[in-house]
Amino acid sequence: MFEIHCPYCNEKRSEIEFAYAGEAHYVRPTAQEQTEMSDEDWSRYMFIRDNIRGEHAERWWHNSGCNMFFNAIRDTVTDKFVMTYKMGQPRRTETQIEAARKNNAEQKAKS
Amino acid sequence: MSFDQAIDIPEIFDADDLRVTLLKEKARYSLRLKSQDVTAIKKASGLKLPAKIMGSTRTKDIICAKLGPDEWIVIADPTQKVKLDKTLAKVSKEFTCSITEISHRNVGFEISGSEAAQLINVGCPMDLSLDKFPVGKAVRTLFESASILLIRTDEHSFHLECWRSFGPYLRDFFARVISTR
Amino acid sequence: MSLFRKTGRGVVDDSKVINFTFDGKAYQGLEGDTVASALLANGNHLMGRSFKYHRPRGVLGAGWEEPNALIAVDRGKGRVTPNVRATTQEIYEGLKAESQNRSPNLKFDMGAFNNAFSMFFPAGFYNKTFMWPKSFWDKVYEPFIRNMAGLGPAPDADDPDVYASTYGHCETLIIGAGPAGIAAALSASKSGERIILVDENAHMGGSLRSTPNIEIGGKPASKWLEASLKALTKAENVTLMTRTTATGYYHDNFVALAERVKHHIPNAKIGKVREALHRIRAGKVILAQGGIERPLVFNGNDRPGIMLASAAQTYLGQYGVAVGNEVAVFTSHDSAYQAAFDVADANTRIAAIIDVRSTIRDDLIMGATQRGIKIIKSAAITKTFGKLRVNACEVYEPESGKKTKINCDAILMCGGWTPSLHLWSHSKGGIKWDADLAAYIPDMPNENAVCIGACNGDFGVAAALSAGHKAGGGRKAYKTNEIEFGSGVVLSSLPSYLDSSKQKAFVDFQNDVTEKDIKLAVSEGFKSIEHVKRYTTNGMATDQGKTSNLNALEIASKAVGKPIEKVGLTTFRPPYTPTTFGTFTGYRDNELFDPTRKTPIDPWAEANGAAFEPVGHWRRAWYFPKDGEDMHAAVARECKATRESLGIFDASTLGKIEVVGPDAAKFMNLMYTNPWSKLPALGCRYGLMCREDGYIYDDGVVGRMAEDRFHVTTTTGGAPRVYRHMEDYLQTEFPELDVWLTSTTEQWAVIAINGPNARKLIEPFVEGIDLSPEAFPHMTLREGKICGVPTRLFRVSFTGELGFEINIPAHYGRLVWENLFEAGQQYNICPYGTETMHVLRAEKGFIIVGQDTDGTVTAHDAGMSWAVSKKKRDFVGKRSLARPDLVAKGRKQLIGLLTENPNEVLEEGAQIVDDPNQAIPMDMLGHVTSSYWSEPLGRSIAMAVVRDGFDRMDETLSIPMPGKVIKAKVVKPVFYDPKGERLNVV
Repeated sequence: MFEIHCPYCNEKRSEIEFAYAGEAHYVRPTAQEQTEMSDEDWSRYMFIRDNIRGEHAERWWHNSGCNMFFNAIRDTVTDKFVMTYKMGQPRRTETQIEAARKNNAEQKAKS
Repeated sequence: MSFDQAIDIPEIFDADDLRVTLLKEKARYSLRLKSQDVTAIKKASGLKLPAKIMGSTRTKDIICAKLGPDEWIVIADPTQKVKLDKTLAKVSKEFTCSITEISHRNVGFEISGSEAAQLINVGCPMDLSLDKFPVGKAVRTLFESASILLIRTDEHSFHLECWRSFGPYLRDFFARVISTR
Repeated sequence: MSLFRKTGRGVVDDSKVINFTFDGKAYQGLEGDTVASALLANGNHLMGRSFKYHRPRGVLGAGWEEPNALIAVDRGKGRVTPNVRATTQEIYEGLKAESQNRSPNLKFDMGAFNNAFSMFFPAGFYNKTFMWPKSFWDKVYEPFIRNMAGLGPAPDADDPDVYASTYGHCETLIIGAGPAGIAAALSASKSGERIILVDENAHMGGSLRSTPNIEIGGKPASKWLEASLKALTKAENVTLMTRTTATGYYHDNFVALAERVKHHIPNAKIGKVREALHRIRAGKVILAQGGIERPLVFNGNDRPGIMLASAAQTYLGQYGVAVGNEVAVFTSHDSAYQAAFDVADANTRIAAIIDVRSTIRDDLIMGATQRGIKIIKSAAITKTFGKLRVNACEVYEPESGKKTKINCDAILMCGGWTPSLHLWSHSKGGIKWDADLAAYIPDMPNENAVCIGACNGDFGVAAALSAGHKAGGGRKAYKTNEIEFGSGVVLSSLPSYLDSSKQKAFVDFQNDVTEKDIKLAVSEGFKSIEHVKRYTTNGMATDQGKTSNLNALEIASKAVGKPIEKVGLTTFRPPYTPTTFGTFTGYRDNELFDPTRKTPIDPWAEANGAAFEPVGHWRRAWYFPKDGEDMHAAVARECKATRESLGIFDASTLGKIEVVGPDAAKFMNLMYTNPWSKLPALGCRYGLMCREDGYIYDDGVVGRMAEDRFHVTTTTGGAPRVYRHMEDYLQTEFPELDVWLTSTTEQWAVIAINGPNARKLIEPFVEGIDLSPEAFPHMTLREGKICGVPTRLFRVSFTGELGFEINIPAHYGRLVWENLFEAGQQYNICPYGTETMHVLRAEKGFIIVGQDTDGTVTAHDAGMSWAVSKKKRDFVGKRSLARPDLVAKGRKQLIGLLTENPNEVLEEGAQIVDDPNQAIPMDMLGHVTSSYWSEPLGRSIAMAVVRDGFDRMDETLSIPMPGKVIKAKVVKPVFYDPKGERLNVV
């Protein structure tokens, strides 16, 4: 059972308090965009996800906690959370993810 | 039959090292406020709304706990209800916010005694050691499959609430733990 | 005192005799004994039969790795625990132990005929044999396999014992309280942080208990151990847990500890915790699990009396039991010499040490010489003799070809050591091959964890102690006088003059896998070790190959012709040792398994004889049978009573969400297909919710309490998902909106009053609301009081009758219900349940989401285009409703069905076709979604989804059923009061 850092509570909480909520950073098209979108583009938005191997940006919901949705980077190879960040913040860059990895390693070394 | 929380508390819930009591009637409100208004609302309402998430304040009659970044719960003695209804209606009018009465949504238990944390940890994954969960800390979390609100009111005392229909489940769970220990 | 007991040793108390039975025979042991040590003390080695060949078996080990000596512990009905290791079950007064896998008894076992025919039972035998003829499967093969399969008796009654579960936390969790674990705890305890030290055995100390005479820093190990445990017991921040197995290691240092609380207690009372599961979250995990000695794979290596050298050491050191009078030692590793010396020093004769190696360390030779022990170098045992106990072995020296028969009543074997990587591997820690040890050892950690001592490949007491102290944050270097642990050789095949096909050299003792089987598997094309494992079943028994995996790997790698590290290692999975279902269940059995949510009115329903049905977590009153009525009769009566006069229904389980804020209407417009902006305060509207894919997700009546406040209701089962759906969109897609959601499902008890007398009933109880039809029209709501308590009173109807839904604060729900019910007697008020509710709504053609829809039905398909705003620029699902496949012809549409025979009630789920005489598989047009007997109409009614159903009005369709075809006419799905006049009775 994971221990997940909730960026709103700013502490680690047990996985059972959370629910997975799908891949992150898929922005819903505006009404205007929706009307202009082809059926193909709309179906791509609706149904197609990357399901990547490695650093996966995904959403989690702290439903049995502060009730907030947030974003996370989880490595689908090691099945480890690299970082979490608040909803609305931009997709994390490679550099930011690398820094988080480094920071995690340092924290671990300290304990 | 009038006010009915549908939970009976057995005698075994009153041991030297562990007491579980059912809280009597309370007035409860869920407050959703914009952060820029909190100070003004505190002033307007007189409520001691904690600033930090997972924080709580307690006076003789009123507990205020911050459960989410913009969410507070107010749990008050029923004698405060008329006044609070009025105050909060005013706040509702003056500020962009959501105030919803949830007095009967929850039932509450007080769990106290040297074994109190142990009992809660039977089903709750939080670390309840005093330094990780100090007096005043308030969280929404889980007791097995029931969502609970947990506030530490003292070193050996907790205020625990759940939605009404989960109350008997928690009572039965506590009864099993206490009777088989 | 028995012949084999050496007094004054180990943890047993010589003065406390314990009586127990094994297979009905009375035995005596000492307090502190295990079943195995007590039986050995009585000279009894025969403790079990093997799984496949039913060969007689003794103990192989002395602990949790034991593959042979499995027993059932019988504590009465429902309390028989099968597959308990005799080596770990502590004896207590009155213990009843039974051997397993034999019939009629251990000494004479019918199943042993498998052994005589073992040449017919090679690896994959079952897969190859039970293939044909097909007709044999049910009658011959399956009963045969079932009879042979399984270890131990399955329980035949409910387990009456109590199991506990809990969460725990610590900064450091140390698993294994041998020298490494204890030293780690000693140094870690200085930090003042919370330390948990667990050990699966009854006593902490691990290998130190088997070698009590080694000196640590000049003190006997037993004294050091005593002092250390005393210090740890005193330290307030240290929790010591014995009889506790770390069974699984999960993400982020979450470790499951299974504690056997009462397994060693005589007459343990029912009703007190027997086992407990501790779910521990640790900051750091120190694994000090030790190592497991490897058997040698030689012909006849499984006779009772043949065991691991370290096991003999443990029986002697920990229990004061000699495993024989004349013991042969067979080894390929230095460590067996210490075992031989310990045994010899306790006055047991060592017949010989047979070492496969040609060069032996001088100090070992000297130690043997001092004790008068003969060493036979470059030799191997090639045969063993004795039926139920070994009595001799044949030693073969390949250089000279010499064969010698040596008498012995026990053989101690040592094929090297395997570090215990089980938990490390659960945590996904890396492993690497160590050629010197001929074993896998830990590589890079995946969690904040470290392996120390033997499980890290650091063998020997001094090494373990020093590594432990370091892992706990200390720096102490320990010194001992132990013989250097040394090294050994690993041979995939031991020297023998016998044809390998004639040998019975066991690798996996529990599953009866031999060297030959593994070679056969490879020769038949199984090259991957995971395939070899499954084909031969090596390592798949209850011991999970603790003593066999590395030997099997060695043999397979030679057979495949690849180095071991290229062959890989099979995966370790939790639990580390077999764990009872009770432990996993913990407290959560029966009523504690999952919450059963009950409404405030539920106690009244129960007292009034309701039949209940589960709906999500809720239990709801289903119908209220009277005087032995069945459901059909009760529902017909309830429907009739409601339509004719008055029905009362508990609708408290409806989900409720309060949507509040200046942007509430804007948000509602986005979440529901209907328009909300123009709904006035105190107005109600039926709301239909789609997912983004355009399919119906939920529905319910929404009341607008004020400009900025909506009282939303959802279906009972849909409440959590609708709340999540709304929060998700609000937080992720529409965060700019000033609106908040509060779940109020349980704030309100809801009483639905339906029927022509509904208004008359409530009128006397209501304060502050004008109930007249003009002042309070259908689909509006009012706030006021009822029975003196506050209410949100909705004038709505899910039945087609004049109806009110009375929302009152939940703790007053029963008060109001009882008042109304009593007053309703004058109108013959009828309480009804969910079944009648379903019938009444079906008569009106109202859908139930999830019954008449299935996640592929759009509003248009359901005939509810009227609920979809054409004007709104956006709502969730709008764009998808324009997808080509959702507007194409041929979609299944919701229609009504009337059977030709009015008395025929269709089955829900029945398939619908055009021409029942067409060839199978038929072209299926759709299926029946709802079907009931309608008492008011005096006939059956049904709803169905049918391809292009709207265009089929008045067509007759067929519903083929077993033995008949039912004809039904397609109609509009409104069967009762199509004009809706009954809503307006005055």
